Amino acid sequence: MTKVMTLICERSCDLNDHLDERSQVKEVPGCYVVKFPCSGMIQPLMVEAALKSGADGVVVTGCQIGDCYYREGNKMIRERLLGSRPPTLKKGTDRRRIIGLWLSKVQVHRFISEVKEFVTDLDKLGPVGPAK
Amino acid sequence: MALPKVYTDSLAYFCLKAEDATNQILTSKYNPFYYHGALPQFFLWVLFLSGLLLFAYYIPTIDNAYSSERLINAFTSVDFITNQIPFGAVVRGIHRYAGDAMVLTIILHALRVWWTDRYRQYRWLQWFSGIVLLGFVFFIGQTGYYLVWDQRSLVLTRMTCYAFEALPVIGPGLKAWFLNGEAITNLTLSNYLFIHIGLSFFLLSGLWLHYVRMARPVVTPPPVINYALMAILMFVVFMYPITMDRMANLTQQPSNFDIDWFFLWPYAMLTSWDPTVFWLAIVGVTVFVSLLPLPFLNNNLSGNVLAPVDAAEVVGSKCVGCQLCDKDCPYEAIEMVPAPAGSKFKLLATVLPHRCSSCGLCVGACAFDAIDLPDMPDAEVTKKIKTLLAQS
Repeated sequence: MTKVMTLICERSCDLNDHLDERSQVKEVPGCYVVKFPCSGMIQPLMVEAALKSGADGVVVTGCQIGDCYYREGNKMIRERLLGSRPPTLKKGTDRRRIIGLWLSKVQVHRFISEVKEFVTDLDKLGPVGPAK
Repeated sequence: MALPKVYTDSLAYFCLKAEDATNQILTSKYNPFYYHGALPQFFLWVLFLSGLLLFAYYIPTIDNAYSSERLINAFTSVDFITNQIPFGAVVRGIHRYAGDAMVLTIILHALRVWWTDRYRQYRWLQWFSGIVLLGFVFFIGQTGYYLVWDQRSLVLTRMTCYAFEALPVIGPGLKAWFLNGEAITNLTLSNYLFIHIGLSFFLLSGLWLHYVRMARPVVTPPPVINYALMAILMFVVFMYPITMDRMANLTQQPSNFDIDWFFLWPYAMLTSWDPTVFWLAIVGVTVFVSLLPLPFLNNNLSGNVLAPVDAAEVVGSKCVGCQLCDKDCPYEAIEMVPAPAGSKFKLLATVLPHRCSSCGLCVGACAFDAIDLPDMPDAEVTKKIKTLLAQS
């Protein structure tokens, strides 16, 4: 089964009613969720750790760009993933396996459909190869 | 008392839905909802510039004993600006409607931070200073209406004196300060001009308190939004040209006047309310709104609201002094200090707990696992990620 690790801001889409007891999104089996107070807290190191520990892909989710309950958190992690703000991802990281979704609390259905699409993309990519 | 939680949640829901709909049309980069704090600041600059032009021709007196040929006073100078100076009426219109727009955008700003729960705990100073500054905005705007010195200005002046007289202890002093003496004289108008302009600069410097601690405050909307706002403003200026009553006549007691509901609503209240009830209502509402962040008025809260949140903590042995957290912290809560003797590095990050919002952005900025939120160390997050992926 394709495994997806979702690192999500707890003020972004409200997944509370969509998680089972193993922190798995009910609609997308294999999609596990770890919540953060703000997406700005997510380290590129954590994204890399997820890919190394068996995830086929990582979904980083924060509030809509322009909106942040604190300040600037989603912009910061977005720039870190895109490589314009340190610390960035390591060079060998497979960027096709990482997506960023910037969704507000009310956009749960958008989240689920985007993740399902991501899973089909990951299936086409095949399993994670050895680190380059 | 306070709004039930389900209701405040639905207000937040309403905000997010409205913003999402706006994003569909304008994209998040040009969504005015995301610059709700910068919009009043933009109108403040418009007011300063248009006010400077008006100030050039304004004469703050009610009569001029030295000029026998033609009466030169506040009213005739405003009349001169309106009818003789090229585009004078337009500048007056901009000054008036930009003031209205400033009040409107401040209210939108306040409602949004309230409904989306961004006004309490470490933000209490922003909330409280905002209320005080809004009070100043109302008073500055009202003095603008006294300055025209038409019949309306006279009614407003007399109503203000009437309201001040109802105040115990400080009432007579306030009235004497307001009129700059015991009766309406030339000195009254110069005092109005001083209050109007002096308090505006006080407002501008008071905004420092509103912005303090914000790293990179968003005080300017993108130019496209500014142009759009100016276009809307000019449309209103030309569609609803600004009016003037007859010159104030101290021997008359005018009673009817047009009300600008953004600024003159207290006078509408005063026409039907007892002045004591009026002051109790004003003070009561202000105190209630100021205390909104307190737990007993707030169902979203538990625990002590005035205590700082659990601030981030630096792991001294891991910090290399790279300053990344210091640069990224949105609340300027990180201070770089010289590293202790014997350290390999020059600097050490420290957290100012009273500024910290516990958002964890510094954790994301650290490539050395050297800073942690106390209830969510990054080592545990990584462990959780690995555990979740290891199952099944």
